[in-house]
Amino acid sequence: MESFVTTFDTVVDDALFWLSDHAAFIFDGIRMVLEGLYDAVLWLLMLPPFWVIALVGGLVGWRVLGWGFGTGGAIALAACAAMGLWPETMQTLALVVAASVIALLIGIPLGVMAGLMPRLDRTLTPALDLVQTLPPYIYLLPAIALMGYGPATALVATVIVAVPPAVRLTALGIRQTPAEFLELGQAVGASGAQMFLKIRLPFAISSIMAGINQSLIMAFGMVVIAGIVGSGGLGETIYGAIRTLDIATSINASIAIVVLTMLLDRMTQAAARKS
Amino acid sequence: MESNEVLIDCQSVWKVFGERSKEAIRSITERGLTKREILKEYNCVVGVADATLQVRRGEIFCIMGLSGSGKSTLIRLLNRLIEPSLGTVRVKGRDLSTLDAAALRETRARHIGMVFQSVALLPQRTVLENAAFGLEVQGIPRDERNRAAETALAKVGLSDWKLRYPRELSGGMQQRVGLARALTADPEIILMDEPFSALDPLIRRQLQDEFRQLTKDLGKSAVFITHDLDEAIRIGDRIAIMKDGVIIQEGTAEEIVMNPADQYVADFVAGISRLHLVKAHSVMMPLDQWCRQSPGLSPDSLPRCSPEADIDALIGKITGTGSDAIAIGHGGTTVGVVTTRSLLLGVRGESDNRAAA
Repeated sequence: MESFVTTFDTVVDDALFWLSDHAAFIFDGIRMVLEGLYDAVLWLLMLPPFWVIALVGGLVGWRVLGWGFGTGGAIALAACAAMGLWPETMQTLALVVAASVIALLIGIPLGVMAGLMPRLDRTLTPALDLVQTLPPYIYLLPAIALMGYGPATALVATVIVAVPPAVRLTALGIRQTPAEFLELGQAVGASGAQMFLKIRLPFAISSIMAGINQSLIMAFGMVVIAGIVGSGGLGETIYGAIRTLDIATSINASIAIVVLTMLLDRMTQAAARKS
Repeated sequence: MESNEVLIDCQSVWKVFGERSKEAIRSITERGLTKREILKEYNCVVGVADATLQVRRGEIFCIMGLSGSGKSTLIRLLNRLIEPSLGTVRVKGRDLSTLDAAALRETRARHIGMVFQSVALLPQRTVLENAAFGLEVQGIPRDERNRAAETALAKVGLSDWKLRYPRELSGGMQQRVGLARALTADPEIILMDEPFSALDPLIRRQLQDEFRQLTKDLGKSAVFITHDLDEAIRIGDRIAIMKDGVIIQEGTAEEIVMNPADQYVADFVAGISRLHLVKAHSVMMPLDQWCRQSPGLSPDSLPRCSPEADIDALIGKITGTGSDAIAIGHGGTTVGVVTTRSLLLGVRGESDNRAAA
């Protein structure tokens, strides 16, 4: 038994080394795309001074949730800058946004297919269960082996964690179209595409929005953990603070993370309610 | 408006549900098994058994049955929402089973409208957008389909509500929108799947009358499903009564009330008022029989009514004139006589010539 386990471990190790030796160009390519996306988002966020971003955040908050949330949000963002953590806060935001965009681009189409095809759903569910039950640190290891230290690795691990909720909630939304409306679609002679766009999708929107919200929250969780692999941002600040027992900095960084998470969570939730 | 053109021709249609339905169907055709045997041998449920019916242009055909009688399955066989296990359904002469997916969609879109018990109005759309949905699916431009939808909404009296959302409407109004949606595409045939069952009695009566009037005015044909015999009688030109997947009787309301096919139908019609349903020609006794019973009297001395006069009118005539008998005839020819006795029997749904025989 033990020999089998050691053999298995050796095989996995060898495979990983073989991949990093022979398929390096693939992973370098992925790394370049991911870092390009991350850099672009970060560049955009760092382009204006901090108060512009705080103001924009406040305005969006006011539009979707009222003036109380708007002013609170703007002040909270300004506080992140006051704590001297503005670049880190924006780096974290850029990581979350980049990872969520990729995760949704994968998760929503996959969820739609799973919602329409029960067999795909049955094969996908255990895979998603596995991804969600494994400790999230695990995803950092193969990623760091193949792509090295840096934000690309953090993005890969974050995408892996953020995909499952998008898939699950999209599939649920698509699956739960009330039967009488499917019958209506058939009775008026709707084609497959019309059935999807005019009947299934409108009923699924709120569930899909909930999936987007959940993906964002998962991404926030992972992005902080990914500080260990040199993701940059608040995660790395906290990791550094833990190693040097710098309690003050770790608290500041935690506050900044809470601010970002709350803002994005409440705004996407409000958007989900409206749809 | 009525003609003899058959719009829906449903011949010996079966629907068997269950995993082994194919084998079950084979043994029905080869060995003539009954529903009970099918259930026992194959664990398959027979939803509709050997149903044959024809719906003619301009007529309202009611299918009456209790829940589980197979009426909802039967109506879905008529537009192939459910695939028949056996038998053929022709709509305007075309066998539905030969249509490919596109042709079937086209037939449903243009020729067969459907109204559901659950109404199924899309909650994110306005009343107008819901009413125009059928044409939207057909790819008709917005202006044109909205015009058609507005016309249909006007017919059901909801012009003022077109920009509202379904949740703002009462149940009766929602079902009117459902009817308008079916009318917008201007189909010849409308399938009504218990459309009024969830409404309260007064609204239901009102919608029944409106629906019948509208269907007749527009010259549409309708298949109307209901579990309520009163509703079937009020609306239907002809009625089919279903029980356990079988059509046990088909005919006009009067035929069914006067000659129930079996005890089940008899129990159903027992509580139905005959006053406006039973006509003079069903209760009168033949002229020669009356002459034998009443020697010396001439039918010419009696007050007269047409054979189409209903019991209510006959009672009015008898109480009004004081005569115990009424001559029934067209113009100058007398075909029979209704006596007080035959009238009383008629109220109970029996005819005098049968009682005398």
